[in-house]
Amino acid sequence: MNYFWIQLVLIVGAVILAFMFIRRWDAANTRAWKRIAFSVFVIANIYAILRPSDVTWVAHKLGVGRGTDLVLYVMVLAMGFLTLNTFLRFRSLEKKLTDLARTVAINEGARLNGERFDLDLPVSAPVKSNGA
Amino acid sequence: MNLPPFDIQMAAHERGRHPEHGAPVSQNDDVWLVIPAYNEGQVIADVVEGARKTFPNIVVVDDGSADDSAKHIMTTGAHLVRHPVNLGQGAALQTGLAYALAQPGAQYFATFDADGQHQTADVEKMVSLLRAGEADVVLGSRFIEQNGQVPWIKRVVLRTAATVSPTARKLKLTDSHNGLRVLNREAASRIRITMNGMAHASEIVSFLAGADLRVAELPVDILYTDYSRAKGQSLINGVNIIFDISLRERGRR
Repeated sequence: MNYFWIQLVLIVGAVILAFMFIRRWDAANTRAWKRIAFSVFVIANIYAILRPSDVTWVAHKLGVGRGTDLVLYVMVLAMGFLTLNTFLRFRSLEKKLTDLARTVAINEGARLNGERFDLDLPVSAPVKSNGA
Repeated sequence: MNLPPFDIQMAAHERGRHPEHGAPVSQNDDVWLVIPAYNEGQVIADVVEGARKTFPNIVVVDDGSADDSAKHIMTTGAHLVRHPVNLGQGAALQTGLAYALAQPGAQYFATFDADGQHQTADVEKMVSLLRAGEADVVLGSRFIEQNGQVPWIKRVVLRTAATVSPTARKLKLTDSHNGLRVLNREAASRIRITMNGMAHASEIVSFLAGADLRVAELPVDILYTDYSRAKGQSLINGVNIIFDISLRERGRR
């Protein structure tokens, strides 16, 4: 059996994963692609339920023995995307939380210490860390 | 930004006539100590009052402590800034720097540990190096002069960290993870610590390597008390630091 096509699909998937990690995406663009991917997923799902043997046919074309195996491979890739997506989302949330907490802390601190020491301390504008 | 030392002395003297919030008049009026504190209620008040004998301006960042750290800090003459949630030491340092930068007359900024392992005498030495205009940033090092205080296992790990880190090598640093640092105003306002956790030490070093700032190292004494030993980072946390840093390096490109 010739494994070329499935190997190509999996390697391309892995490379895209790596790129996702390195590049910064603009939000609207990414969201659109995620929606497209989701729609494709739903359609493929329904099709695979209606004609399960076709999945095996596609698997054979790609050089995979059974349709189930193909589904498994695709799932591993999907898992990877999901994990990465969650990680990036968490990181950006953490950044926002930090900026928010810092602004609150500094302004609250200026008020508190101003009262404690009877000083007129500057209340700062929102602090923003430049995104890495 | 870089006033000649003479002017700074003059300015400090002038302010001395209007002592701010009852602090003892001192020639270190233009120095701000930034102390990040997380659950340090036991010792923080003593450490702060000890340091305030030399440095009247101190801001303690209570990083969302679960204990009564804030209450203890309130009894001292230090400014208190409280993170509403725990964010990590790196975030606390950045917050403290931002707060200190906004204070009138602040020229020099020192990061200082809350557990009492650092000596104000060392900070004075480091500040005087900055006042002389010989550097923009002075980092404390445990290894320039061997004082036998550092536990040997820690010595091996920290020396290895300093040797394998490309940025630390570029700056010819002997100790890349020392919490004692003094920055002048330019360096302090340019630094952006984005690593909230413990990886900020490496982040600061790599920032310094990439910036056109003059970095110097000065030997400092570290008091490894039982308290600081118990509070200090365990070596296994080094794994976390390596992970954080490698993720960041990748995320940056």
